[in-house]
Amino acid sequence: MNLYEFEAKNIFAQYGIPIPPSKLVTHPQDLNKIFFGYPLTLKCQVLTGGRGKAGGIKFAKSLAEAQKLAPELLNLEIKGCKTQSLLVEPKLNITNEYYLSVTLDRELGVPVFIATSEGGVEVEQAKNVIKMPIHFPYSAFLTRTLAYKIGLNGEALNKFASIADKLYKIFIERDLDLIEINPLVAVEGNELLALDGKIVVNDDSLMRQPYFAGWLESHLVDLPAVERLAKLHGVNLVELDGDIGILCNGAGLTMATMDMVAEFGGKPANFLDAGGGSDQAKTLAALELVNKNPKLKVILLNILGGITACDDVANALVEFVKAHSNVKLVVRLRGNNQEKAKEILSNYNVKLIPNLEEAVKTAIALAS
Amino acid sequence: MILVNKDTKVVVQGITGKMGQSHTKRMLEYGTQIVAGVTPGRGGQTIHGVPVFDTVAQAVEKTNANCSIVFVPPYLACDAGFEAIHAGVSLLVVITEGIPPNDTAKLVNYANIHKVTFMGPNCPGVVSPGHSLIGIMPGSIFKEGKVGMVSKSGTLTYEIALALTEANLGQSTCVGVGGDPVKGIEYQPILNLFEADPLTDVIVLIGEIGGNAEEKAAQYIKEHIKKPVVGFIAGQTAPPGKRMGHAGAIISQGSGTAKSKIEAFEKANIKVAKTPDQVAKLVSELIKQPAVK
Repeated sequence: MNLYEFEAKNIFAQYGIPIPPSKLVTHPQDLNKIFFGYPLTLKCQVLTGGRGKAGGIKFAKSLAEAQKLAPELLNLEIKGCKTQSLLVEPKLNITNEYYLSVTLDRELGVPVFIATSEGGVEVEQAKNVIKMPIHFPYSAFLTRTLAYKIGLNGEALNKFASIADKLYKIFIERDLDLIEINPLVAVEGNELLALDGKIVVNDDSLMRQPYFAGWLESHLVDLPAVERLAKLHGVNLVELDGDIGILCNGAGLTMATMDMVAEFGGKPANFLDAGGGSDQAKTLAALELVNKNPKLKVILLNILGGITACDDVANALVEFVKAHSNVKLVVRLRGNNQEKAKEILSNYNVKLIPNLEEAVKTAIALAS
Repeated sequence: MILVNKDTKVVVQGITGKMGQSHTKRMLEYGTQIVAGVTPGRGGQTIHGVPVFDTVAQAVEKTNANCSIVFVPPYLACDAGFEAIHAGVSLLVVITEGIPPNDTAKLVNYANIHKVTFMGPNCPGVVSPGHSLIGIMPGSIFKEGKVGMVSKSGTLTYEIALALTEANLGQSTCVGVGGDPVKGIEYQPILNLFEADPLTDVIVLIGEIGGNAEEKAAQYIKEHIKKPVVGFIAGQTAPPGKRMGHAGAIISQGSGTAKSKIEAFEKANIKVAKTPDQVAKLVSELIKQPAVK
């Protein structure tokens, strides 16, 4: 789950990471209540990157100018994401910019600090990026080493290290995939402030993070409607351009089935992985989701029951067929309880094809 | 045959849960030595004739279990893993899906310190057909033979095992390492075990988009593995930037593509199959002698 900049900064502030004074603006008249002086920075709150380049950050020298800019910015759509609100802050006199983040490194299997003294740009394009693995047990000296390695000394070293230490604490305590300050800026008087912030909360951890309870639905706005619905049902759906709906259990098998459809000349309409251990209700919800696609011509269901019981799938199919007798279905169902499943489906007009290649070819033929 | 055999003695953590119970039954039917179960507070009961203990330490002391399979819910699974390692098992198989990656990272670290083989999480387990099945795979699709399999995916492994079995090509051991971005055992140590295993003639490596584990495995095979390897990569039609089911299956910033992995395989002289049936075809061309009927 991606958070908005203002939400990330609220969390920064709770942990004592310095942020600039700010006000969240949802109506232009809110600007009247701003007392930190001009010029101002107005920033669109959107759940996507590349905001600056898309014109989502503007400066205003006066209240009149800010009031003129605010409605335009509030209506701005960036990469399909609507602006939720504006975060208004004073324009700062920046002397230096840094990049600082914590994320889990999949190659190393441990969290890493990533930092550079070239902040404000995409970190992928920066030179002199320091990547520091955080092995267990963590200790705060690591953050001082990090500050030293990116070329800091004196008071700045201690301040940077303290912010990095807090960032790591948030990363662990809030179960994050990523926490990033870009840029972390030095302003007059040697203060370090988090000027922009990004937080990605780990989806699997949401249930044990009461702070984020109820946030998910309102934070899936960057996904197409059907994919959002799928996520709320606990199945993985990705929409594609073709006309053959694909429903499998297990990510690898779903991808391989998609690949085979393409290999034999068909076009997959979607990727839907109903996951391991899908019961009847989840399978039925998955079938309904695949069926929502207006381009759909046929559904290819490929289930190899390991943790999934084939009879549960068969019962879901029966319910689906009763409700949508016009939908073409090609079903390949093997594994645990496959005989029971066959029996359940024998009274219904559902085509069971045990061989995958044959099932794929049948679905392609039915779609063309 | 690697990692598990007829002598492997298994304790099932979370044996009284729905998943724990049903898979304990299946594993027992397969012939796996399930010697104990653990559910805190349920010590003294039995599940399908298997004695239940309150702690893994008790179970290991009473039954000499040397392997644990974990079915406990995601937020308790890391602790369950720590308990098993602390009790002295040498193989830890974590089936649970949805464990927070920070928990997994801690468990990987603890397993490394204690030199325990940690398989998973979010994995289907391991089977040495005809000898022992420790996991959630449907036993009926496997057959004893000379093909060693290692895979990130559960159901895709079944698909390919089925294709091999139907082509009368049995398997020595099939290992599912799981599709999470942070995990315990990866391809390389398993490739080493297969290379040294006299019962394995051909290795099948099944990968998918995301990360660079397949590229690293290809490089390792090129330098260290003499046995023939057949590769399969899922996700050739996956769009970039989208998480394809598994937490780890995502093409990000142009890396982790199927193309890059297939090219790495081809450079390492690994034969690449496009369909499960093709895997069987390529294996049959490479294997020294077909499995006995």
